[in-house]
Amino acid sequence: MGKGRPFLEIFTYVFHEDYRFPILEIFAFLFALATFVFADFAGGYDRTGETMAYSLVNTLCEFPLMFIFVVLILKNVAYGLGSDLDRGLMQTLFSYPLKRRHILTARLLSGLGIAVLLFLGIQIFGLFLLAPDTLATYSSTVFLTYAAHLCSPALLLAGLLLLLTLRLKRGGLALIIGVILFLAGLIFSGEVTYIAYATDSDVILKIWAVINPNSALQAYYYHMGTSGFLFGGETWVPSFSEVLLYLWAGYLIVAVLFIVSYIYFDRRLEI
Amino acid sequence: MRWITLLWRIGTVALAIGLALLVAWLIPSSAEYPYRVSRHIEPEQYMFRESEVYSPQNGLQISMNATDEVRVYLLGVSSLELDNWKALLREAYLDSESPDSESPDSESPDWVSPDMETFFIEFYPVPLLFFHEAYPEQPLPDLFNPETQSMVWNITVLDKGLETHPEIILWDPPPGSMFSHELFPEDVLNIMAVVANPSSDTVEVDVEIKKVVAVAPKDRIIFPAQLLISIGIGLTIVWLFSRKFRKSIF
Repeated sequence: MGKGRPFLEIFTYVFHEDYRFPILEIFAFLFALATFVFADFAGGYDRTGETMAYSLVNTLCEFPLMFIFVVLILKNVAYGLGSDLDRGLMQTLFSYPLKRRHILTARLLSGLGIAVLLFLGIQIFGLFLLAPDTLATYSSTVFLTYAAHLCSPALLLAGLLLLLTLRLKRGGLALIIGVILFLAGLIFSGEVTYIAYATDSDVILKIWAVINPNSALQAYYYHMGTSGFLFGGETWVPSFSEVLLYLWAGYLIVAVLFIVSYIYFDRRLEI
Repeated sequence: MRWITLLWRIGTVALAIGLALLVAWLIPSSAEYPYRVSRHIEPEQYMFRESEVYSPQNGLQISMNATDEVRVYLLGVSSLELDNWKALLREAYLDSESPDSESPDSESPDWVSPDMETFFIEFYPVPLLFFHEAYPEQPLPDLFNPETQSMVWNITVLDKGLETHPEIILWDPPPGSMFSHELFPEDVLNIMAVVANPSSDTVEVDVEIKKVVAVAPKDRIIFPAQLLISIGIGLTIVWLFSRKFRKSIF
Protein backbone atom coordinates (compact mmCIF):
# COMPACT_ATOMS: atom_id res chain seq x y z
CA MET A 1 0.00 0.00 0.00
CA GLY A 2 1.51 3.38 -1.00
CA LYS A 3 1.40 6.59 0.99
CA GLY A 4 -1.43 7.98 -1.08
CA ARG A 5 -4.17 5.73 0.27
CA PRO A 6 -3.60 6.31 4.03
CA PHE A 7 -3.26 10.05 3.31
CA LEU A 8 -6.58 9.95 1.48
CA GLU A 9 -8.13 7.94 4.33
CA ILE A 10 -7.07 10.55 6.88
CA PHE A 11 -8.08 13.44 4.62
CA THR A 12 -11.53 11.87 4.14
CA TYR A 13 -11.94 11.38 7.89
CA VAL A 14 -10.83 14.96 8.69
CA PHE A 15 -12.98 16.42 5.90
CA HIS A 16 -15.98 14.52 7.22
CA GLU A 17 -15.29 15.82 10.75
CA ASP A 18 -14.67 19.43 9.66
CA TYR A 19 -17.59 19.74 7.31
CA ARG A 20 -20.42 17.59 8.61
CA PHE A 21 -23.56 18.11 6.52
CA PRO A 22 -24.72 20.94 6.23
CA ILE A 23 -21.79 23.05 7.64
CA LEU A 24 -20.04 23.42 4.26
CA GLU A 25 -23.35 24.26 2.56
CA ILE A 26 -24.28 26.92 5.17
CA PHE A 27 -20.90 28.63 4.78
CA ALA A 28 -21.14 28.43 0.96
CA PHE A 29 -24.59 30.02 1.12
CA LEU A 30 -23.38 32.80 3.46
CA PHE A 31 -20.27 33.55 1.38
CA ALA A 32 -22.28 33.70 -1.86
CA LEU A 33 -25.10 35.87 -0.55
CA ALA A 34 -22.80 38.15 1.46
CA THR A 35 -20.62 38.77 -1.63
CA PHE A 36 -23.60 40.50 -3.27
CA VAL A 37 -24.95 42.15 -0.13
CA PHE A 38 -21.64 43.62 1.05
CA ALA A 39 -20.13 44.54 -2.33
CA ASP A 40 -19.92 48.31 -2.26
CA PHE A 41 -19.26 50.24 -5.43
CA ALA A 42 -20.15 53.58 -3.83
CA GLY A 43 -16.60 53.86 -2.49
CA GLY A 44 -15.42 53.76 -6.07
CA TYR A 45 -17.46 56.72 -7.31
CA ASP A 46 -14.85 59.30 -6.45
CA ARG A 47 -12.05 56.90 -7.27
CA THR A 48 -10.89 55.44 -10.50
CA GLY A 49 -9.25 52.33 -11.87
CA GLU A 50 -7.10 50.36 -9.48
CA THR A 51 -8.24 52.28 -6.41
CA MET A 52 -11.85 51.45 -7.21
CA ALA A 53 -11.00 47.74 -7.68
CA TYR A 54 -9.08 47.76 -4.38
CA SER A 55 -11.96 49.49 -2.60
CA LEU A 56 -14.45 46.93 -3.95
CA VAL A 57 -12.43 43.85 -2.86
CA ASN A 58 -11.64 45.54 0.45
CA THR A 59 -15.34 45.85 1.27
CA LEU A 60 -15.72 42.11 0.63
CA CYS A 61 -12.86 41.24 2.96
CA GLU A 62 -13.85 43.42 5.88
CA PHE A 63 -15.62 42.66 9.14
CA PRO A 64 -18.71 40.50 8.60
CA LEU A 65 -17.43 38.32 5.75
CA MET A 66 -13.87 38.00 7.02
CA PHE A 67 -15.19 37.18 10.49
CA ILE A 68 -17.35 34.35 9.10
CA PHE A 69 -14.32 33.05 7.19
CA VAL A 70 -12.00 33.28 10.20
CA VAL A 71 -14.58 31.49 12.38
CA LEU A 72 -14.67 28.65 9.83
CA ILE A 73 -10.86 28.39 9.77
CA LEU A 74 -10.50 28.60 13.55
CA LYS A 75 -13.26 26.01 14.03
CA ASN A 76 -11.36 23.60 11.79
CA VAL A 77 -7.78 24.35 12.83
CA ALA A 78 -8.17 25.05 16.54
CA TYR A 79 -11.34 23.28 17.59
CA GLY A 80 -11.02 20.33 15.17
CA LEU A 81 -7.37 19.59 15.87
CA GLY A 82 -7.82 20.35 19.59
CA SER A 83 -10.71 17.86 19.81
CA ASP A 84 -8.62 15.17 18.09
CA LEU A 85 -5.83 15.73 20.62
CA ASP A 86 -8.23 16.01 23.55
CA ARG A 87 -10.26 12.89 22.72
CA GLY A 88 -7.20 10.80 21.86
CA LEU A 89 -8.17 10.40 18.21
CA MET A 90 -4.73 11.60 17.18
CA GLN A 91 -3.26 8.35 18.54
CA THR A 92 -5.46 6.40 16.12
CA LEU A 93 -4.28 8.65 13.27
CA PHE A 94 -0.63 8.09 14.28
CA SER A 95 -1.17 4.33 13.83
CA TYR A 96 -1.51 4.90 10.05
CA PRO A 97 1.67 4.18 8.04
CA LEU A 98 2.29 7.88 7.50
CA LYS A 99 4.75 10.43 8.81
CA ARG A 100 3.33 12.84 11.38
CA ARG A 101 3.82 15.81 9.10
CA HIS A 102 1.65 14.17 6.44
CA ILE A 103 -1.13 13.74 8.99
CA LEU A 104 -0.93 17.45 9.82
CA THR A 105 -0.87 18.25 6.09
CA ALA A 106 -4.08 16.26 5.58
CA ARG A 107 -5.72 18.15 8.46
CA LEU A 108 -4.60 21.57 7.19
CA LEU A 109 -5.55 20.71 3.61
CA SER A 110 -9.09 20.04 4.77
CA GLY A 111 -9.43 22.68 7.48
CA LEU A 112 -7.57 25.50 5.76
CA GLY A 113 -7.25 24.57 2.08
CA ILE A 114 -10.91 23.76 1.46
CA ALA A 115 -12.04 26.84 3.44
CA VAL A 116 -9.74 29.19 1.46
CA LEU A 117 -10.84 27.57 -1.81
CA LEU A 118 -14.50 27.99 -0.87
CA PHE A 119 -14.10 31.62 0.24
CA LEU A 120 -12.00 32.76 -2.73
CA GLY A 121 -13.83 30.65 -5.31
CA ILE A 122 -17.26 31.97 -4.34
CA GLN A 123 -16.12 35.60 -4.00
CA ILE A 124 -14.33 35.65 -7.35
CA PHE A 125 -17.33 33.95 -9.00
CA GLY A 126 -19.60 36.58 -7.41
CA LEU A 127 -17.33 39.40 -8.57
CA PHE A 128 -17.28 37.91 -12.06
CA LEU A 129 -21.09 38.02 -12.14
CA LEU A 130 -21.25 41.51 -10.65
CA ALA A 131 -18.41 43.38 -12.33
CA PRO A 132 -16.61 41.26 -14.95
CA ASP A 133 -14.91 44.29 -16.50
CA THR A 134 -13.41 45.37 -13.16
CA LEU A 135 -12.18 41.83 -12.48
CA ALA A 136 -10.63 41.48 -15.95
CA THR A 137 -9.04 44.94 -16.12
CA TYR A 138 -7.64 45.08 -12.59
CA SER A 139 -6.97 41.40 -11.94
CA SER A 140 -3.53 42.11 -10.41
CA THR A 141 -5.05 44.60 -7.92
CA VAL A 142 -7.78 42.09 -7.05
CA PHE A 143 -5.15 39.35 -6.56
CA LEU A 144 -2.94 41.57 -4.36
CA THR A 145 -5.87 42.68 -2.19
CA TYR A 146 -7.00 39.09 -1.61
CA ALA A 147 -3.38 38.04 -0.92
CA ALA A 148 -3.05 40.79 1.71
CA HIS A 149 -6.34 39.93 3.43
CA LEU A 150 -5.58 36.20 3.37
CA CYS A 151 -2.19 36.78 4.96
CA SER A 152 -3.66 38.69 7.86
CA PRO A 153 -5.90 38.01 9.67
CA ALA A 154 -6.79 34.61 8.12
CA LEU A 155 -3.48 32.72 7.74
CA LEU A 156 -1.66 34.59 10.50
CA LEU A 157 -4.37 33.69 13.03
CA ALA A 158 -4.54 30.13 11.70
CA GLY A 159 -0.75 29.72 12.20
CA LEU A 160 -0.84 31.23 15.68
CA LEU A 161 -3.81 29.15 16.73
CA LEU A 162 -2.29 25.98 15.28
CA LEU A 163 0.78 26.45 17.45
CA LEU A 164 -1.32 27.38 20.46
CA THR A 165 -3.61 24.35 20.03
CA LEU A 166 -0.62 22.02 19.81
CA ARG A 167 0.80 23.52 23.02
CA LEU A 168 -2.49 23.62 24.96
CA LYS A 169 -3.92 20.42 23.44
CA ARG A 170 -7.34 22.04 23.95
CA GLY A 171 -9.31 23.40 21.02
CA GLY A 172 -12.03 25.36 22.85
CA LEU A 173 -9.64 27.68 24.65
CA ALA A 174 -7.58 28.24 21.48
CA LEU A 175 -10.77 29.08 19.57
CA ILE A 176 -11.76 31.71 22.16
CA ILE A 177 -8.25 33.21 22.08
CA GLY A 178 -8.46 33.31 18.27
CA VAL A 179 -11.75 35.22 18.28
CA ILE A 180 -10.39 37.67 20.88
CA LEU A 181 -7.22 38.20 18.80
CA PHE A 182 -9.32 38.84 15.69
CA LEU A 183 -11.45 41.44 17.45
CA ALA A 184 -8.40 43.03 19.10
CA GLY A 185 -6.75 43.33 15.68
CA LEU A 186 -9.90 44.93 14.32
CA ILE A 187 -9.96 47.54 17.10
CA PHE A 188 -6.22 48.20 16.87
CA SER A 189 -6.32 48.69 13.08
CA GLY A 190 -8.78 51.53 13.68
CA GLU A 191 -6.56 53.13 16.31
CA VAL A 192 -3.13 52.74 14.70
CA THR A 193 -3.47 55.87 12.53
CA TYR A 194 -4.45 57.97 15.56
CA ILE A 195 -1.45 56.65 17.50
CA ALA A 196 0.85 57.51 14.60
CA TYR A 197 -0.68 60.99 14.44
CA ALA A 198 -0.44 61.50 18.21
CA THR A 199 3.19 60.33 18.38
CA ASP A 200 4.07 62.12 15.14
CA SER A 201 5.86 59.00 13.94
CA ASP A 202 5.08 56.46 11.23
CA VAL A 203 7.02 53.63 12.89
CA ILE A 204 3.84 52.17 14.37
CA LEU A 205 2.22 52.19 10.91
CA LYS A 206 5.20 50.31 9.46
CA ILE A 207 5.20 47.70 12.24
CA TRP A 208 1.47 47.24 11.79
CA ALA A 209 1.99 46.88 8.02
CA VAL A 210 4.27 43.87 8.64
CA ILE A 211 1.56 42.19 10.75
CA ASN A 212 -1.28 43.41 8.54
CA PRO A 213 -0.01 44.03 4.95
CA ASN A 214 -3.43 45.29 3.91
CA SER A 215 -2.78 48.52 5.84
CA ALA A 216 0.21 49.22 3.55
CA LEU A 217 -1.89 48.37 0.50
CA GLN A 218 -4.67 50.66 1.74
CA ALA A 219 -2.25 53.55 2.35
CA TYR A 220 -0.82 53.00 -1.14
CA TYR A 221 -4.14 52.91 -3.00
CA TYR A 222 -6.05 55.56 -1.03
CA HIS A 223 -3.26 58.11 -1.34
CA MET A 224 -2.28 57.09 -4.89
CA GLY A 225 -0.72 60.00 -6.73
CA THR A 226 -0.75 62.26 -3.65
CA SER A 227 1.80 62.85 -0.92
CA GLY A 228 -0.78 61.64 1.63
CA PHE A 229 -2.44 64.04 4.01
CA LEU A 230 -4.48 63.01 7.01
CA PHE A 231 -5.75 65.11 9.92
CA GLY A 232 -4.08 68.11 8.29
CA GLY A 233 -0.64 66.49 8.47
CA GLU A 234 1.45 64.30 6.21
CA THR A 235 0.91 60.58 6.55
CA TRP A 236 2.97 57.56 5.55
CA VAL A 237 2.44 56.46 1.95
CA PRO A 238 4.47 53.42 0.87
CA SER A 239 5.63 52.89 -2.69
CA PHE A 240 4.41 49.85 -4.62
CA SER A 241 7.68 47.96 -4.09
CA GLU A 242 7.42 48.68 -0.35
CA VAL A 243 3.87 47.28 -0.35
CA LEU A 244 5.17 44.07 -1.94
CA LEU A 245 7.93 43.94 0.65
CA TYR A 246 5.42 44.21 3.51
CA LEU A 247 3.32 41.50 1.89
CA TRP A 248 6.34 39.20 1.66
CA ALA A 249 7.22 39.99 5.27
CA GLY A 250 3.66 39.11 6.33
CA TYR A 251 3.80 35.79 4.48
CA LEU A 252 7.26 35.11 5.95
CA ILE A 253 5.81 35.41 9.47
CA VAL A 254 2.96 33.08 8.46
CA ALA A 255 5.46 30.59 6.96
CA VAL A 256 7.60 30.67 10.12
CA LEU A 257 4.54 30.00 12.30
CA PHE A 258 3.53 27.01 10.19
CA ILE A 259 7.10 25.62 10.00
CA VAL A 260 7.46 25.87 13.81
CA SER A 261 4.07 24.15 14.18
CA TYR A 262 5.14 21.36 11.81
CA ILE A 263 8.43 20.85 13.65
CA TYR A 264 6.63 20.82 17.00
CA PHE A 265 3.99 18.37 15.74
CA ASP A 266 6.65 16.16 14.13
CA ARG A 267 9.19 16.01 16.95
CA ARG A 268 7.94 17.45 20.20
CA LEU A 269 4.27 16.64 20.45
CA GLU A 270 3.69 14.03 23.14
CA ILE A 271 0.39 12.23 23.34
CA MET B 1 -19.24 5.02 -2.88
CA ARG B 2 -16.82 7.71 -1.67
CA TRP B 3 -16.76 9.31 -5.10
CA ILE B 4 -20.55 9.38 -5.12
CA THR B 5 -20.53 11.00 -1.65
CA LEU B 6 -17.96 13.55 -2.84
CA LEU B 7 -20.10 14.34 -5.88
CA TRP B 8 -23.13 14.70 -3.61
CA ARG B 9 -21.28 17.20 -1.39
CA ILE B 10 -20.14 19.14 -4.47
CA GLY B 11 -23.77 19.09 -5.58
CA THR B 12 -25.09 20.37 -2.25
CA VAL B 13 -22.49 23.18 -2.24
CA ALA B 14 -23.54 24.10 -5.80
CA LEU B 15 -27.17 24.01 -4.63
CA ALA B 16 -26.35 26.30 -1.67
CA ILE B 17 -24.58 28.81 -3.94
CA GLY B 18 -27.44 28.61 -6.44
CA LEU B 19 -29.98 29.27 -3.68
CA ALA B 20 -27.92 32.27 -2.47
CA LEU B 21 -27.98 33.67 -6.03
CA LEU B 22 -31.72 33.04 -6.15
CA VAL B 23 -32.21 34.96 -2.87
CA ALA B 24 -30.10 37.83 -4.30
CA TRP B 25 -32.29 37.71 -7.42
CA LEU B 26 -35.48 37.79 -5.32
CA ILE B 27 -34.42 40.83 -3.26
CA PRO B 28 -36.48 43.57 -4.92
CA SER B 29 -34.71 46.45 -6.62
CA SER B 30 -35.74 49.98 -5.75
CA ALA B 31 -36.12 52.80 -8.22
CA GLU B 32 -35.39 56.41 -7.35
CA TYR B 33 -37.34 59.47 -8.52
CA PRO B 34 -37.30 59.58 -12.30
CA TYR B 35 -35.73 62.27 -14.44
CA ARG B 36 -38.16 63.29 -17.17
CA VAL B 37 -37.57 65.45 -20.19
CA SER B 38 -39.83 66.31 -23.10
CA ARG B 39 -38.37 68.17 -26.01
CA HIS B 40 -38.23 68.30 -29.77
CA ILE B 41 -35.26 67.26 -31.84
CA GLU B 42 -34.65 69.06 -35.11
CA PRO B 43 -34.17 67.01 -38.31
CA GLU B 44 -30.81 65.21 -38.44
CA GLN B 45 -29.88 66.39 -34.94
CA TYR B 46 -29.30 64.55 -31.70
CA MET B 47 -29.88 65.26 -28.01
CA PHE B 48 -27.68 64.30 -25.15
CA ARG B 49 -28.52 63.65 -21.50
CA GLU B 50 -25.57 64.56 -19.21
CA SER B 51 -23.65 61.67 -17.73
CA GLU B 52 -24.15 60.20 -14.28
CA VAL B 53 -22.17 57.52 -12.50
CA TYR B 54 -23.67 54.03 -12.44
CA SER B 55 -22.32 50.75 -11.11
CA PRO B 56 -23.11 47.01 -11.31
CA GLN B 57 -25.47 47.51 -8.33
CA ASN B 58 -26.78 50.88 -9.40
CA GLY B 59 -28.28 50.68 -12.87
CA LEU B 60 -30.75 52.70 -14.87
CA GLN B 61 -34.15 52.21 -16.46
CA ILE B 62 -34.82 54.23 -19.56
CA SER B 63 -38.16 54.53 -21.33
CA MET B 64 -38.78 56.74 -24.30
CA ASN B 65 -41.62 57.66 -26.61
CA ALA B 66 -41.17 59.60 -29.84
CA THR B 67 -43.57 60.89 -32.49
CA ASP B 68 -41.42 59.35 -35.22
CA GLU B 69 -38.63 56.81 -35.59
CA VAL B 70 -35.46 57.74 -33.69
CA ARG B 71 -32.16 56.11 -32.73
CA VAL B 72 -31.32 55.68 -29.06
CA TYR B 73 -27.93 54.89 -27.52
CA LEU B 74 -26.66 54.43 -24.01
CA LEU B 75 -22.99 55.32 -23.87
CA GLY B 76 -20.65 54.42 -21.00
CA VAL B 77 -17.25 55.91 -20.25
CA SER B 78 -15.06 55.24 -17.22
CA SER B 79 -14.12 58.21 -15.02
CA LEU B 80 -10.48 57.71 -15.98
CA GLU B 81 -11.27 57.87 -19.69
CA LEU B 82 -13.56 60.85 -19.17
CA ASP B 83 -10.78 62.72 -17.32
CA ASN B 84 -8.42 61.95 -20.21
CA TRP B 85 -10.95 63.32 -22.70
CA LYS B 86 -11.46 66.48 -20.63
CA ALA B 87 -7.70 66.99 -20.50
CA LEU B 88 -7.51 66.51 -24.26
CA LEU B 89 -10.30 69.08 -24.80
CA ARG B 90 -8.66 71.58 -22.44
CA GLU B 91 -5.42 71.15 -24.33
CA ALA B 92 -7.17 71.55 -27.68
CA TYR B 93 -9.39 74.51 -26.81
CA LEU B 94 -8.23 76.33 -23.70
CA ASP B 95 -4.48 76.20 -24.31
CA SER B 96 -4.71 76.83 -28.03
CA GLU B 97 -3.66 80.18 -29.42
CA SER B 98 -6.64 80.45 -31.72
CA PRO B 99 -7.79 83.95 -32.72
CA ASP B 100 -11.07 83.43 -30.88
CA SER B 101 -9.50 82.65 -27.54
CA GLU B 102 -7.18 85.64 -27.90
CA SER B 103 -9.93 88.11 -28.65
CA PRO B 104 -12.81 87.96 -26.20
CA ASP B 105 -14.37 90.97 -27.89
CA SER B 106 -14.71 89.05 -31.07
CA GLU B 107 -18.08 89.28 -32.77
CA SER B 108 -17.80 85.70 -33.88
CA PRO B 109 -21.06 83.86 -33.11
CA ASP B 110 -19.25 80.76 -31.82
CA TRP B 111 -17.12 82.59 -29.31
CA VAL B 112 -17.49 81.20 -25.73
CA SER B 113 -16.64 83.04 -22.52
CA PRO B 114 -13.89 81.47 -20.34
CA ASP B 115 -16.40 80.43 -17.66
CA MET B 116 -18.60 78.74 -20.20
CA GLU B 117 -15.60 77.03 -21.79
CA THR B 118 -14.85 75.31 -18.49
CA PHE B 119 -18.54 74.52 -17.97
CA PHE B 120 -18.93 72.92 -21.40
CA ILE B 121 -15.78 70.83 -21.09
CA GLU B 122 -16.72 69.73 -17.58
CA PHE B 123 -20.32 68.76 -18.37
CA TYR B 124 -20.31 67.94 -22.10
CA PRO B 125 -16.97 66.26 -22.77
CA VAL B 126 -18.40 63.51 -24.98
CA PRO B 127 -20.31 65.68 -27.53
CA LEU B 128 -17.41 68.15 -27.52
CA LEU B 129 -14.90 65.36 -28.19
CA PHE B 130 -17.08 64.08 -31.04
CA PHE B 131 -17.23 67.64 -32.41
CA HIS B 132 -13.49 68.15 -32.02
CA GLU B 133 -12.78 64.88 -33.82
CA ALA B 134 -15.18 65.82 -36.65
CA TYR B 135 -13.96 69.44 -36.94
CA PRO B 136 -10.46 69.64 -35.45
CA GLU B 137 -9.86 73.14 -36.84
CA GLN B 138 -12.99 74.71 -35.32
CA PRO B 139 -12.84 76.67 -32.03
CA LEU B 140 -14.85 75.63 -28.99
CA PRO B 141 -18.53 76.06 -29.95
CA ASP B 142 -21.34 77.44 -27.78
CA LEU B 143 -23.53 74.42 -27.16
CA PHE B 144 -26.58 76.58 -26.43
CA ASN B 145 -26.20 79.09 -29.26
CA PRO B 146 -28.79 78.42 -32.01
CA GLU B 147 -26.28 79.49 -34.65
CA THR B 148 -23.73 76.82 -33.68
CA GLN B 149 -26.16 74.17 -32.47
CA SER B 150 -26.92 72.77 -35.91
CA MET B 151 -23.24 72.04 -36.37
CA VAL B 152 -22.46 70.65 -32.92
CA TRP B 153 -25.55 68.50 -32.52
CA ASN B 154 -25.51 67.24 -36.08
CA ILE B 155 -26.13 63.51 -36.48
CA THR B 156 -23.03 63.13 -38.70
CA VAL B 157 -20.88 64.33 -35.76
CA LEU B 158 -22.51 61.67 -33.57
CA ASP B 159 -22.03 58.95 -36.20
CA LYS B 160 -18.38 59.82 -36.66
CA GLY B 161 -17.85 59.85 -32.88
CA LEU B 162 -19.50 56.47 -32.42
CA GLU B 163 -17.53 55.07 -35.33
CA THR B 164 -14.29 56.23 -33.68
CA HIS B 165 -15.29 55.01 -30.18
CA PRO B 166 -17.51 51.93 -30.66
CA GLU B 167 -16.35 50.56 -27.27
CA ILE B 168 -18.44 53.15 -25.39
CA ILE B 169 -21.76 51.95 -26.83
CA LEU B 170 -23.55 49.97 -24.12
CA TRP B 171 -26.96 49.73 -25.77
CA ASP B 172 -27.79 50.25 -29.42
CA PRO B 173 -31.33 49.04 -30.24
CA PRO B 174 -32.78 49.16 -33.77
CA PRO B 175 -34.47 52.49 -34.64
CA GLY B 176 -38.03 52.87 -33.33
CA SER B 177 -40.46 55.19 -31.61
CA MET B 178 -40.89 53.37 -28.26
CA PHE B 179 -38.07 52.08 -26.10
CA SER B 180 -37.77 50.62 -22.64
CA HIS B 181 -34.61 49.13 -21.21
CA GLU B 182 -32.87 48.38 -17.92
CA LEU B 183 -29.09 48.44 -17.81
CA PHE B 184 -26.60 47.53 -15.12
CA PRO B 185 -23.03 48.26 -16.31
CA GLU B 186 -20.23 45.72 -15.81
CA ASP B 187 -18.00 48.35 -14.19
CA VAL B 188 -18.40 51.77 -12.56
CA LEU B 189 -19.18 53.95 -15.58
CA ASN B 190 -20.45 57.41 -16.47
CA ILE B 191 -23.53 56.63 -18.56
CA MET B 192 -25.23 59.06 -20.89
CA ALA B 193 -28.35 58.72 -23.03
CA VAL B 194 -28.35 59.91 -26.63
CA VAL B 195 -31.42 60.24 -28.87
CA ALA B 196 -30.83 60.93 -32.57
CA ASN B 197 -33.40 62.01 -35.11
CA PRO B 198 -32.34 60.71 -38.56
CA SER B 199 -35.54 61.85 -40.30
CA SER B 200 -36.15 65.11 -42.13
CA ASP B 201 -38.97 66.13 -39.73
CA THR B 202 -38.86 67.48 -36.21
CA VAL B 203 -39.56 64.78 -33.63
CA GLU B 204 -41.08 65.18 -30.15
CA VAL B 205 -39.51 62.87 -27.56
CA ASP B 206 -40.42 62.06 -23.95
CA VAL B 207 -37.54 60.48 -22.07
CA GLU B 208 -37.76 59.06 -18.55
CA ILE B 209 -34.65 57.84 -16.76
CA LYS B 210 -34.78 56.16 -13.35
CA LYS B 211 -31.87 55.05 -11.16
CA VAL B 212 -32.38 51.46 -10.05
CA VAL B 213 -30.63 50.10 -6.96
CA ALA B 214 -30.27 46.30 -6.74
CA VAL B 215 -28.18 43.79 -4.80
CA ALA B 216 -27.15 42.23 -8.10
CA PRO B 217 -28.06 42.68 -11.77
CA LYS B 218 -30.97 40.28 -12.13
CA ASP B 219 -30.34 39.29 -15.75
CA ARG B 220 -26.75 38.31 -14.98
CA ILE B 221 -27.43 36.09 -11.94
CA ILE B 222 -30.58 34.22 -12.85
CA PHE B 223 -28.91 31.85 -15.35
CA PRO B 224 -26.01 30.83 -13.03
CA ALA B 225 -28.58 30.36 -10.21
CA GLN B 226 -30.70 28.03 -12.36
CA LEU B 227 -27.62 26.15 -13.57
CA LEU B 228 -26.16 25.63 -10.08
CA ILE B 229 -29.51 24.56 -8.60
CA SER B 230 -30.01 22.06 -11.46
CA ILE B 231 -26.48 20.63 -10.99
CA GLY B 232 -27.06 20.40 -7.22
CA ILE B 233 -30.39 18.62 -7.58
CA GLY B 234 -28.96 16.31 -10.28
CA LEU B 235 -25.99 15.22 -8.18
CA THR B 236 -28.20 14.74 -5.10
CA ILE B 237 -30.54 12.48 -7.10
CA VAL B 238 -27.54 10.42 -8.30
CA TRP B 239 -26.41 10.03 -4.67
CA LEU B 240 -29.90 9.05 -3.48
CA PHE B 241 -30.25 6.42 -6.23
CA SER B 242 -26.81 4.97 -5.53
CA ARG B 243 -27.66 4.71 -1.79
CA LYS B 244 -30.94 2.99 -2.58
CA PHE B 245 -29.16 0.67 -5.03
CA ARG B 246 -26.50 -0.28 -2.43
CA LYS B 247 -29.15 -0.93 0.23
CA SER B 248 -31.08 -3.22 -2.13
CA ILE B 249 -27.89 -5.23 -2.93
CA PHE B 250 -26.69 -5.69 0.65
